[in-house]
Amino acid sequence: MPDAAPDRTPLSREGQTRMARDAVGAIGRHRRGCVRHPVPMSIEVHGLTKVFVTGRRRQRRRIEAVRDLSLTVVAGERLAFIGPNGAGKSTSIKILTGILHPTSGSATVLGVVPWEDRKRLARRIGTLFGQRSQLWTELSPRQSYRMLAAVYGLTAAEEIERVGALGELLDASDLFDQPVRSLSLGQRMRCELAACMLHQPEVLFLDEPTIGLDLLAKQRFREVVVRLNAERGTTIFLTSHDVADIEHVAERAVVVNHGSVIYDDDVATMRRTLLATKLIEVHGAGAIDVPQGAGVSVLAHEHGSLKLTVDTGLTPVRDVLDRLLDNRDLSDVSVMDPPLEQVIAEIYAEPRA
Amino acid sequence: MRRRWPATVVRTAVQRVLAERGGLVVTLVFYVLVASVLSSLWRLSAAANGGSVAGYGAAALTWYVATTEACTVSLNIRLIADIGRDIGSGALAVELLRPVSVLGVRVAAELGRVLPRLALCLATGAVLASLVGGAPPRPAALVWVLPSALVAVTANVVAQHAFAGAAFWLRDAGSAWFLYSKFTFVLGGMLIPLQVLPGWLHGVASALPFSAMAYAPGRFASGHIEPWLLVQQLGWLAALTVGASAVFAAGERRLQVVGG
Repeated sequence: MPDAAPDRTPLSREGQTRMARDAVGAIGRHRRGCVRHPVPMSIEVHGLTKVFVTGRRRQRRRIEAVRDLSLTVVAGERLAFIGPNGAGKSTSIKILTGILHPTSGSATVLGVVPWEDRKRLARRIGTLFGQRSQLWTELSPRQSYRMLAAVYGLTAAEEIERVGALGELLDASDLFDQPVRSLSLGQRMRCELAACMLHQPEVLFLDEPTIGLDLLAKQRFREVVVRLNAERGTTIFLTSHDVADIEHVAERAVVVNHGSVIYDDDVATMRRTLLATKLIEVHGAGAIDVPQGAGVSVLAHEHGSLKLTVDTGLTPVRDVLDRLLDNRDLSDVSVMDPPLEQVIAEIYAEPRA
Repeated sequence: MRRRWPATVVRTAVQRVLAERGGLVVTLVFYVLVASVLSSLWRLSAAANGGSVAGYGAAALTWYVATTEACTVSLNIRLIADIGRDIGSGALAVELLRPVSVLGVRVAAELGRVLPRLALCLATGAVLASLVGGAPPRPAALVWVLPSALVAVTANVVAQHAFAGAAFWLRDAGSAWFLYSKFTFVLGGMLIPLQVLPGWLHGVASALPFSAMAYAPGRFASGHIEPWLLVQQLGWLAALTVGASAVFAAGERRLQVVGG
């Protein structure tokens, strides 16, 4: 008897939200090995390798852009796929979206082998490349949406309903009738996001989506991506060099370098555990004594203020705080995690295996 | 009801051209200038040659040039270079992420850009030819001009995609564009009716697809009712479509293996 076809009945908004929440909650349980039932996977990658051959004859070189990459992404997850330039991020995305064949290894996205069935997969995924536009600048986004809706086989009624809903969700309805060239970059990116959500993709690949945006536009864009994930359960696969994108959008970070995964965990855990350094900043009315101890380094010391780092692997942060708090003149003490940039820089600096 | 994507892409591209009226005006001014100069030259040649050149009278030559120029000026002259740039920059690879044919969307979008220009140039050309060359030599032949002109620009757009496909391998379609434009100007009959060419070159030009892109509609406009020309054009359009599809299919496979 043939397998039953997957149920593709559209979920209500509440249903989608619940599904997304359940799926996100399942991620942690799955990683800890507490789940007996299989978690729905959006992306499964095993031993993916891509080798490019460049040059001619004697100058021929083999470049291993992706090396034995393995990865799973749960449905509804928000994942940041990060790495330095040349780490293999874009190549991996091209393979996962079907526009590049791997040299070896296997991958499925929503159960489809991307490079074998690219057009079928294209109906179920969305892609947003920060430096490429789907919208025609001379026209309004709505006019481009009509064309894209036809390309994705939507009816006129579906197109009108979805454009309306996306305008509301992305807070962009008032932008849809203006010529694209008159929009700011931030406004344009929200319209681009609507364009790639028109066919209701289950997985959204965002490649450097905030590149070139100002701070406010970036913040707004991140908010709408998170809202989209929460309300529709869309799996988010994000690459970015902007640490704030990773912090505000992703729940999980996968770091690649030299074509391989070198780190894979929750963003919060990544920050907390990977670098066992804490920043301590204290202020007071009088002179502050520097607490002595292994792993304690002074960054700045002036009358009434002290800034230092503590390697908690050598000296517990509590010991340092106890010694500082002996000073009764202290007015303010703060203990901070190091900036995520520093954490990521530490990971990138790991030597190639 | 689901919309048919080729028609919607064409319609959206037409809207795009109409939104850029400045571009239409530039095309029209260029067309009037070139058609006026060439028709004057041909009328002078006819006058110096006893009233006709290779069987074409002054009015026929004027209507011929007005039509062939309309079919050529309405096209994006650098289309091959543009497609080559999109292949080289990776923009075309991103278009593979749509669930329909990349070539199909591109041809439909380009046709949408050409059609308003073609309509404008043909209408202006008819007025211009009537004013400077006189009434059409055989008004009944004009019925054939519109379908022939439509097939001509479609064949030209498809052929440019086939030529531009060289960029999948060469990374630069500049040389392909240079060759193509020269072939269209001379062997396609854009500047010269094919009958004016030396016998052997006339034979070669007639056997090539370029004649379907300018000469055929010009021949109808100059008063020659030769329906087989339209059949030949349709045959070339089919062959070019097969060729362009094969080039793009091979090019896409190459992109998927070696990257963009």
